[in-house]
Amino acid sequence: MKPSRLFSVLSVILALAFVLSACSTPAAPTVQPTTAPVEPTAPPAAAGETITVIFPKHEADIKGAFESRIKEFEKESGITVNLIQSDWDSVANRVVPELATNGSAYDVVEFDNGWVAEWCGAGWATPLNDFMAAGYTDGMIPGLVDLFSCPDGKLYGVVWNNDTRFFHYNAAKLTEAGFTEPPKTWEEFTSQSLAAKEKGAVKYGFAPFWNQEWSLGNEFHFWTYAFGGELVDDKACIVMNKDANTLKAVQYMMDSLTNGVADPAGLTYNQAAAQDIFLKGDTLFLPQAIAGLMAYTKDATVSKVDGQIKIGLVPSADNGKSAALTLPEAYAIPVGSKHKEAAWKFIQYMTSKETNKLLAQEIGILPIWVDLFSDPDLTAVYPFWKDFQAQLASARGLSKLTWYSDLVDISTAELHKALSGQQTAQEALDAMAKQLSAYNCVP
Amino acid sequence: MRNPLKSLSDNKRTLGWALSLPAVLAILGIVVIPVIQSLIQSFYQRDLSRPQLDAFIGLLNYQNLFADARYLHSMLATFRFSLISVIFELILGVSIALVLNKNFVGRGFVRGLMILPWAMPSIVNAAMWKWIYNADYGVLNALLTQVGILDQYKIWLSDPFWATALIILANVWKETPFTVLMVLAALQTVPDELYEAAKVDGSSAWQSFISITVPLILPVLMIVSMLQFIWGFQTYELITIITGGGPFSTTEMVTLRVYATTFRSLRFGYGSAMAYLTSLFILVPVVIYIRSAYKKVVEY
Amino acid sequence: MSIRKLIPRILLYLVVLLIVIWTVAPYAWLVISSLSHKIDLVTVPLKWSPLRLTFDNYRSLFFANGETSVNVGLFFTALKNSAIISLSTMLICMPLGVMAAYAATRLKFKGSNGIILTSMITQLIPPIILVIPLYVIMRKFVLIDKQIGLILVDITIGLPLVIWMMRGYLASIPADLEDAARIDGCTYMGALVRVILPLAGPGLVSVMIFAFIASWNEYLYAYVFTNVQAKTLPVLIGEFSTKLGLEYLKIAAAGVLASLPPVLLALGFQKFIIRGLTSGAVK
Repeated sequence: MKPSRLFSVLSVILALAFVLSACSTPAAPTVQPTTAPVEPTAPPAAAGETITVIFPKHEADIKGAFESRIKEFEKESGITVNLIQSDWDSVANRVVPELATNGSAYDVVEFDNGWVAEWCGAGWATPLNDFMAAGYTDGMIPGLVDLFSCPDGKLYGVVWNNDTRFFHYNAAKLTEAGFTEPPKTWEEFTSQSLAAKEKGAVKYGFAPFWNQEWSLGNEFHFWTYAFGGELVDDKACIVMNKDANTLKAVQYMMDSLTNGVADPAGLTYNQAAAQDIFLKGDTLFLPQAIAGLMAYTKDATVSKVDGQIKIGLVPSADNGKSAALTLPEAYAIPVGSKHKEAAWKFIQYMTSKETNKLLAQEIGILPIWVDLFSDPDLTAVYPFWKDFQAQLASARGLSKLTWYSDLVDISTAELHKALSGQQTAQEALDAMAKQLSAYNCVP
Repeated sequence: MRNPLKSLSDNKRTLGWALSLPAVLAILGIVVIPVIQSLIQSFYQRDLSRPQLDAFIGLLNYQNLFADARYLHSMLATFRFSLISVIFELILGVSIALVLNKNFVGRGFVRGLMILPWAMPSIVNAAMWKWIYNADYGVLNALLTQVGILDQYKIWLSDPFWATALIILANVWKETPFTVLMVLAALQTVPDELYEAAKVDGSSAWQSFISITVPLILPVLMIVSMLQFIWGFQTYELITIITGGGPFSTTEMVTLRVYATTFRSLRFGYGSAMAYLTSLFILVPVVIYIRSAYKKVVEY
Repeated sequence: MSIRKLIPRILLYLVVLLIVIWTVAPYAWLVISSLSHKIDLVTVPLKWSPLRLTFDNYRSLFFANGETSVNVGLFFTALKNSAIISLSTMLICMPLGVMAAYAATRLKFKGSNGIILTSMITQLIPPIILVIPLYVIMRKFVLIDKQIGLILVDITIGLPLVIWMMRGYLASIPADLEDAARIDGCTYMGALVRVILPLAGPGLVSVMIFAFIASWNEYLYAYVFTNVQAKTLPVLIGEFSTKLGLEYLKIAAAGVLASLPPVLLALGFQKFIIRGLTSGAVK
């Protein structure tokens, strides 16, 4: 903005008001409209290589580790990076209008796993296969590559935040309740919770985060997966109301609120609140916690459970399989970007094995490269990563649907209604299927 | 030299337009194109994630809205929220304004302090109340149990009645200062002589409130209540942060539906129709209200 | 003082005290929160005063990510942006709004009702639906992430507010006063400035404060139309959140600070609200 211009507009208005206000003096009736003069359209970003990058701050990045990596990239490549970092929602609400209107403001954008199918449908992202060498993705966690591929088989995003969730439990409280091993099945999960509660070790088995909001959709996926159920089949046909395991999952969620396993206040909690309660030692389990939770437990200003927390596997479904949720975030290049080559260089640098390892060492982000999990430098700092290994293999992403948002919108409402005791599990699942019927088998 | 200008500036019509035009241009110049664009869009199917289906569909979006139970319910919830909020804001606001109009030590400071809730960014207000209402470590539970009103902690926001009541409380707390300061300012224009004359005539305090104060602050009251009613319809951060629309969609407002439809599901046609149908719903009572309010103002 | 006079007096002070508590209590809790460690706040039973005072939440506002970070100084930039944008919006809206309100209430020319109604109808449309079309236009004119861009859109919020509120005040001022001034040889504008505005002074000041705050707290437009350069305080505060939820303590600290400028403004202008009364009525 040019302050001088603003003030000239202002002073015209004020002068006008003054002139018009005299008694028995001529008043100037002409009035200027005040829609301030608009500056001419600026030329597209300076030639040479400046790219604008927007992605959320990583939860664990209190030191600015991503920024130092980006500074390093600028030095090595000669490309200038204009970095915009804020929280996830702000990033989402800025990226969406920009892409929806075919803007070219950003060269590298946040690409959330929940958006993949929608963006594939809308054609907002650039296929990265045009830039990358053959075999480039070999050695990345395969699930992460699949997740960010569109139906055309091309890759549209490379993961910068491998946000896989893990089963955490309070080992000290578990011992206090008389158990040595974390639960292997959901029946054990129930019995251990109730026993620990009985002994007064904890208030509840776990505090769910089932407030009616966007992330309840994540929870719906997690519990369904954990019980071996499905929401849609691989042709995007709706099966949630026909799958016995999905029904079992919803029924378990509902029962846990009434039989004392889950804190009923969890109906109003978001994830932060549920985590606060686990960190003060009031609950035994946090079935799906972020990978960086260990760092929080060591911080005495937020935690009373330092040294008590351990990592286990999510209890198994009837088929004996354990499942967890992964919510990765990737970098993508918008189709409108005018600096795609430079943008790709940025993505390549920031997700390379070297950078990945450095970021892991500095702030504990979870790598996207399989062999980094057994890298001795890293396992020395994060001994608990060995516990992540088994779960990583069974981690699943959210449903990949062009109507994913509608699925969340409708399923969270119906699920919350069931959890509040207003309808049965089957009624809830039927209601979801009915309202989503227009999208049945639409990928 | 002075005469032509003077006559010009004394012509009601010319002067009226000259005085109004800058404001009209400043408002319309900015919003007119977006308003028209989004209105046109409401007659289209425009799903950004399914661009191949884009088409002009006439009134179909509007027709579908009348069959959209969740939207209709959100209209009702919004209407209830706005109306109850306005009623409390008016009662509380006028009462507080009358008290603050009395003479007491520290009056200026208290008046200035009244602005505090209004001055708080809405997102801070919402985060603050969410924390206060928390079932496990919230202040509300702590206070009520320590005073002895509650035996044990209550999960306020999982009960539809309390969830609605408490978001209204949070809204009323934040919005009442607007009523207070506006009414307080209106009270300043009431000449003291009127009250003294009424006292001489033997009117009670209540009688002079009804016969003198109310008519004089009525224009302001009507406008304040209408603005707050409209603002109630546009409340977003407060609801989305405190309840997210829960429990089971009972506090879900129209703005949450519009947000989910446009920014999440990327259905811009349907979302626009939703916004315009809602505007139409409030437009009718507001216009009726404005007309009657206008008559009242003219009469007195 | 006799008992009969004393009791109402005491009652009045009690009521005032209640009003102050109602207004300040939640804010006081916000202040306490902002000075606490999270673990102390979530512990049950709750302690009413912070066990251990800490300024970490405030410190984190100013030194967000260590010294290498672009985030350092974000708070001050946002404060400056908010101040410039709100003051400009207020200064533009007041004269324009007062003129239009005067025209509509006192001049009652053909079309005046239409103007008033139009300005109100624009308020009925939820901003959330205008955001994207506006975004496209603003991008075309390179107004995204510019203070001037936000001032322009904030005017569409502040101006109808000023017009409508001023209309209420102007309507409550007896017309004979103005007629008297007109007979004395004042133009309409002269009467407005010499007679009407002093009488409407308290209302004028209140409306001005509200016009300022409307822009100060505007969230949605600021949120979508700014990135870095023109980011306002509410937007910055909203960013204190992670994928897991809002970071309440940081929001509390920032909220405590962000609420102060409008309150100071209100306290500062308080004397005008009272003075307007005395000086106006005598003339």
